[in-house]
Amino acid sequence: MSTADTLVQAPAGTRDRTLDRTGAVRIQPPRRRISWMRTGVMILITAIVLVPIGGVVGLSLRPALGSNSNAAITFANFVNMFSQTQVLTWLRNSLGVTLVTVLVSVAVAAPAGYVLSRGRNRLVSSYSLMLFIVQSLPVVTAVIPLFILFAKIGLVDNLLGITIIYVGSTMSVSIWMMAAYYDSIPVSLEEAAWMDGCSVFGSFSRIVLRNSLPGLLSTAIFAFLLAWNDYLVALVFLRSSSNFTFAVGLESFFQQNSTNWGLVMAVAVLMMLPPIIIFAVLNRYFSIGGLGGALAGR
Amino acid sequence: MLIAFVAPSIVLLLLINLYPTIYAASESLRNGTLATVGRFIGFANYSSIFSSSAFWKAAEFTVIFSVVGVFGSWLAGLGIALLLRDRVAVPSVFKVLLLLPWIVPVVVSATSWNWLVATPESPLPQLAHFLGFHNALFLANPTLAKITVCVFKVWISFPFMMMMMSAALTSVDKNVYEAAQIDGASRWQTLRRLTLPLIARSTYISWILMTIFCVNDFPTIFLLTGGGPVGATTSLVVLAYQTVFEDLQTGTGISIAFIMTIALVLVSVFLYRQIRKVNIAE
Repeated sequence: MSTADTLVQAPAGTRDRTLDRTGAVRIQPPRRRISWMRTGVMILITAIVLVPIGGVVGLSLRPALGSNSNAAITFANFVNMFSQTQVLTWLRNSLGVTLVTVLVSVAVAAPAGYVLSRGRNRLVSSYSLMLFIVQSLPVVTAVIPLFILFAKIGLVDNLLGITIIYVGSTMSVSIWMMAAYYDSIPVSLEEAAWMDGCSVFGSFSRIVLRNSLPGLLSTAIFAFLLAWNDYLVALVFLRSSSNFTFAVGLESFFQQNSTNWGLVMAVAVLMMLPPIIIFAVLNRYFSIGGLGGALAGR
Repeated sequence: MLIAFVAPSIVLLLLINLYPTIYAASESLRNGTLATVGRFIGFANYSSIFSSSAFWKAAEFTVIFSVVGVFGSWLAGLGIALLLRDRVAVPSVFKVLLLLPWIVPVVVSATSWNWLVATPESPLPQLAHFLGFHNALFLANPTLAKITVCVFKVWISFPFMMMMMSAALTSVDKNVYEAAQIDGASRWQTLRRLTLPLIARSTYISWILMTIFCVNDFPTIFLLTGGGPVGATTSLVVLAYQTVFEDLQTGTGISIAFIMTIALVLVSVFLYRQIRKVNIAE
């Protein structure tokens, strides 16, 4: 390094230049030294950002109002919530609705995304445009007519009703995500299969789907988050507390017991655990950048 | 033949998205309620909306909320993505931790923000008091409530921008930076003339998506303030919801949502065209 520097008389700021064996100037990639300054700034930012979430966890571990416990940390709230709230009902309803949404949404989006990825004709582009327009329609415009329609056919205050709406609202993004993933699988694999007499259905199910686990998983995560986190649809459609999902259950409990922070936050912790666990386990499959690319390419 | 592949999705889209939109269009020309189909009244709903001050107030707040939401979260997300790009220890750990505001259900985070700011005894008003700002009523003062809701939205949305921008930054060819360094470009020039143009496409996409997210966002506002105080944080979505489900004026409520939709589609199409331009330029 030092000899190279003296040889080329490197101007200031180009310390990374060296001579390679042939004597040509070679630029080395910038060295990856860790800057503790930058790391410190990031730690500070992260700490501030996480205050509200830390608050939820911290409050859930505090002794309840009026209890004579002196302990700094208690799990009493997590025990009490099962007897003092309907948290088990909300959990069951939310899990059921979310799982069905995930399964149906992936099953419908997987083949549709394939057409979007491989199709190159007018019909496919108008289908793509339709997805784009549909995605910009606000849920609230759809919710009101759907409420009137569902009231006629008995789907208001019904978990099946909100599941149908969740599946419908995942459609555009799920299809885009699947299409984006298929784009990364070379068509030549399928062409080889077709040469061997395989049908389009056959090549799709045996070659494309088999190689699409990451795409399927990221679509599933998206559908999971949408259904688990939704508030508006559940607020409008669910009336009786035995049908409440977690979101409306927690909110109504909070409205009635806003001073009992320990219990409210214990329920909140239980509600935020499933999405966090899923993300912690599967986060490498979830690429939003891929979604962006899929959108722009069309 | 491939129609079998797309048929289920088309049925769902027709039922959940297009049918309600067409129904809404016809309903917006009637004076119905949730229980009764009203009679045809032409554009009376629209003219009454355009002359109502509540509508213009909500439209104004929707614009503020969306502009702050889009650019606030973009700046924060891009800034953190740039910081994390190099020379930070364990960047993946920071990325995962910083995603939390976006993953946590909004009902949970709204509950938490309520605890942080709602009453004078809450931590943030106490901190403000300690710093000399007395009576900082974050949700009771109209201006402060607007700011609080916008900050809440940026807090929820910046992780999405961080992910989009990180993905865009990793696809930028490192060699261009070396070229810029050799030419003696300053950091600011590099960012302004090199990085930003190179990620322009992802930036426009993220703006489109975030505009849609912000304009359509109901729970962030409704759960934190319910649209109050005195309607200060009522956006068009919240106003539409209240008009239908609290005032029971279906026709008017749907018309509000409809005007908002048309405006939103126009903005998205405008931004979508910008992407096309970027594509051609490349």
